Amino acid sequence: MAEKRKYKKRYCKYCEAKVDFMDYKDAGALRFSLSERYKIMPRRLTGNCKRHQDMISIVIKRARAAALVPYTVTRKQVVVAPFENLK
Amino acid sequence: MRNYENLVIVKPTLTAEEIQASVKAIEEVITSNGGEIAATSPMGMRKLAYPIEKNERGYYHVIYSSIAPSAITEIERRFRINEDLLRFVTIKYDTNREIAAFNGMVAKAKKAAEAPAKVETPAVEEAPVETPAVEAEAPVATEAAAPAAE
Repeated sequence: MAEKRKYKKRYCKYCEAKVDFMDYKDAGALRFSLSERYKIMPRRLTGNCKRHQDMISIVIKRARAAALVPYTVTRKQVVVAPFENLK
Repeated sequence: MRNYENLVIVKPTLTAEEIQASVKAIEEVITSNGGEIAATSPMGMRKLAYPIEKNERGYYHVIYSSIAPSAITEIERRFRINEDLLRFVTIKYDTNREIAAFNGMVAKAKKAAEAPAKVETPAVEEAPVETPAVEAEAPVATEAAAPAAE
């Protein structure tokens, strides 16, 4: 049954890079799993595996507590490249 | 003894010397409670992702240390009393994988502390010069972004 796939096959980018540990202080690296409003992106959209999704969600929550990543963004603050003015 | 990482954000309203003094006081809190500081890495003055106590920026300082688990509550109690701190985050490094990452970060922090030790003095002088530039850029960037959003 060679049915045509509707979407591109998703794969876990962290597995491919063999990430064992994520540092919450490196806010730029967390950007991949965050939406433009800084919500944590769901697994079905990023393709992350369960293990790495669990890791990234913990790390993002730590970074939020440390004011490295915002909890929410209001409509005015939504920008295209948000991490550039964080430095 | 267990490996911990303490990230503290010091108030930006203090002068450079006062910030250094309060960072030293924070490190002393850890050592006086039986902790051994493995390495420290100053992340410097950064813009906060959201305002804390009406402050837009803060001085970030990270302390890697091994502390007895029972002493953590006392250390955090002292941090809470300290009015110079905007925020503190304590992270435990417990599993083998985390400890390996911890040792890696300690080595990195030590290297960073040793190598630019001579460069550090001009870096401190540069910091105030850089901050107005960032402030000057920021409104322009928001203005540029605003019409784009509309």
